[in-house]
Amino acid sequence: MLNIFIDESKRQPSDRLSGGQSAHRLKEFYMVIVELQDVRKVYPLGKVEVEAVKGVSFSIEKGDFISIAGPSGSGKSTILNMLGCVDRPTSGTVFIEGRPTKDLSDKDLTTLRHETLGFIFQSFNLIPVLNVYENIEFPLLLGKKGPKGKEKIEWIDYLIHEVGLEQWKTHKPNELSGGQRQRVAIARALVTKPQIVLADEPTANLDSATGTQILDLMKRINREMDTTFIFSTHDAKIVNLADHVVRLKDGLVEENVRQERKD
Amino acid sequence: MPVLIRIAFRNLLEHKAKSLIIGILLGLGVIILVVGNSFMDTAAQGVKDTFIANYTGDIFVAAKSKEAVSLFGASSMMGGGDQTKNLPYYDKVMAKLRSTPGMIEATSQVTGYGMAALKGYEDVDKDENSTNFLLLFGIDPSTYYKLFTTAKPVMGGLLQPGQVGLVVSKATYDRLSKKSGVQLKIGDTIIVTGMGHAGFKIRSVPLVGVVSFKSDSEATDFISYADVDTVRILSGLTLGNDDDTPVTDEQKSLLAANEDDLFGGGETVTTAAKTAAPKSAAKSPTVVEHKAAQADTGAWYFAMARLKNPSQAPMIIAELNVWFAKEGIDAIASDWKTAAGPFASSIDVVRIVFNIAIIIVAVVAVIIMMNTLVISVIERTGEIGTMRALGAQKSYVRRMFLVETLTIAVVFGLIGSALAIGAVGILNACHIAAGNPFLKILFAGTVLHMSVSPVSVIGSLVLVGIVAVIAHLYPVSLALKVEPVRAMQSE
Repeated sequence: MLNIFIDESKRQPSDRLSGGQSAHRLKEFYMVIVELQDVRKVYPLGKVEVEAVKGVSFSIEKGDFISIAGPSGSGKSTILNMLGCVDRPTSGTVFIEGRPTKDLSDKDLTTLRHETLGFIFQSFNLIPVLNVYENIEFPLLLGKKGPKGKEKIEWIDYLIHEVGLEQWKTHKPNELSGGQRQRVAIARALVTKPQIVLADEPTANLDSATGTQILDLMKRINREMDTTFIFSTHDAKIVNLADHVVRLKDGLVEENVRQERKD
Repeated sequence: MPVLIRIAFRNLLEHKAKSLIIGILLGLGVIILVVGNSFMDTAAQGVKDTFIANYTGDIFVAAKSKEAVSLFGASSMMGGGDQTKNLPYYDKVMAKLRSTPGMIEATSQVTGYGMAALKGYEDVDKDENSTNFLLLFGIDPSTYYKLFTTAKPVMGGLLQPGQVGLVVSKATYDRLSKKSGVQLKIGDTIIVTGMGHAGFKIRSVPLVGVVSFKSDSEATDFISYADVDTVRILSGLTLGNDDDTPVTDEQKSLLAANEDDLFGGGETVTTAAKTAAPKSAAKSPTVVEHKAAQADTGAWYFAMARLKNPSQAPMIIAELNVWFAKEGIDAIASDWKTAAGPFASSIDVVRIVFNIAIIIVAVVAVIIMMNTLVISVIERTGEIGTMRALGAQKSYVRRMFLVETLTIAVVFGLIGSALAIGAVGILNACHIAAGNPFLKILFAGTVLHMSVSPVSVIGSLVLVGIVAVIAHLYPVSLALKVEPVRAMQSE
């Protein structure tokens, strides 16, 4: 497997847009969809404080299939939480589509999550009382945007078809296997047509074969819909599927590389 | 909203044990409220109907008093009471009442108290609980029976205008017969000892009739009717200055005598003491009559009136009070409740006790429901976090819990209402008899018969809904504190 490594440290797309910037730089700016600038996160643990992330900076381009890798305790989940706007950095700034998130209110952050981000959770996190169709539909019911009526039904059916769950449409989560549940979660993450999908160790609770299927599915959607996928993992085999890898160790970026796309 | 209701219903089914705990509490609450309120409403309506139809009418007018004045006289909160004042400007007040549009008729009354005994018979009843007490209504039969038509004679007849006599209830008749050891007959002479502020007065009156009412109650069994003059005299409403006694010339000469004439001559005075008032003495002997204890014919305590449309009572009462004030008449018009006095307030007291009990039960229910909902929130932390992460605003989470709480309240509230209606039906079918006078007041009769009003059911459902909403406030505040990051944490 041939990987083309690009030194990410030489790229500085975090420069903010100003009036005199050239069209080239404008294009480059809009390609960066997520950016972290010297992000730190400190958790209180009893009377002591634990620094989970110690000043991390990197950026993610639109359409990236990026893996945030590292061993347990390296800070990958913490970074994913901050990228997903479900947690705030202690210091530093996270930019989503060029917007700094640190000054956003809870309401604005929620709106940002709803409109821009999709989530795939390690434990699937489906709503137990809703069936497959209703779970996928759920994010559309949280906002006024998105398809309505027949268009909505067709879109959800399309997603169900894409994840191969037509026969399980009316089943509740407890009637599905782990792989099927994660497929529902993927469809749910995509239903609002988000720019970014965050997946927290999406294969951790799946067997190897199912995990590979799920990753293949995510990869296919990434390719076909140009959706940015950001996932955390500590599985080296999965890391190899990514075209952009940010490797963490002890709360710091150990490696930030781009790999050749494996389409 | 549909998805919230869907989630609510499914969560209720998913968490059956918790739903049942909360639901049973709410359902029981509704049953207690509906049955209790039906009982209270029935009692209140029964007492109201009984009093308006039999004793008080729709409008009650009495002289203004510092103390509460009811049909049973003036009484203070401490139990005692001053002499009930006469109704001022009686003729003017009655004329006003009768000329008020919508009025069926107006009548007036004097109320007194007494003990009855059959003339010539000893008290043979040794039962300590037995009494020969009478609550005497002195009435004007020419108008009284136009207002109060429910008294039906079971022996003899009703009082006729100008007739002197006593009409008693069936229960009083039975008591007096038992006490005297013989069955009373119409025309028998009853000795009534009046107890008023003027002291004890005794009058002999013939028994004219025995009556029963549409809705008898032991508390009102004591009410007896007599001609107004008899009650006036027994109550001390007598014109002492009109009590004329014939005086001889010899007696008159004593009035002119000085102390020396009386005691200086050593003569023994054997003439009877003066009993006549100076006014009497001044009158011509030809006019003087023997009118011992003649009543004050102008004295009435109360006026009562009935309306064609009883719902107009509050408005007419207000108008009358304005008129009294304008005319400088020191009287006040009020409704049946004031007239019924302690009988109406006994229902209010029971209702207050019931409401206090309901509040205590509601507080306990709120605490139990709150704890159950808190457990539910803790168990669903991941789900709430997931919803928040997916873009659910806090208001959505708040609505979700509110809908769930209201759903359970409505579902179990309706079940409770149905059970309560069934329970009322069963209780009515049991024909529960009132075992004591207090229950007879509450039952508004001798047998319990309740009816469920839609207002009571809806009110109970609303109250249970409010309890449920209060109970969900703290749990939902915990739910709102659940951060979306909790979704990212493995369950």
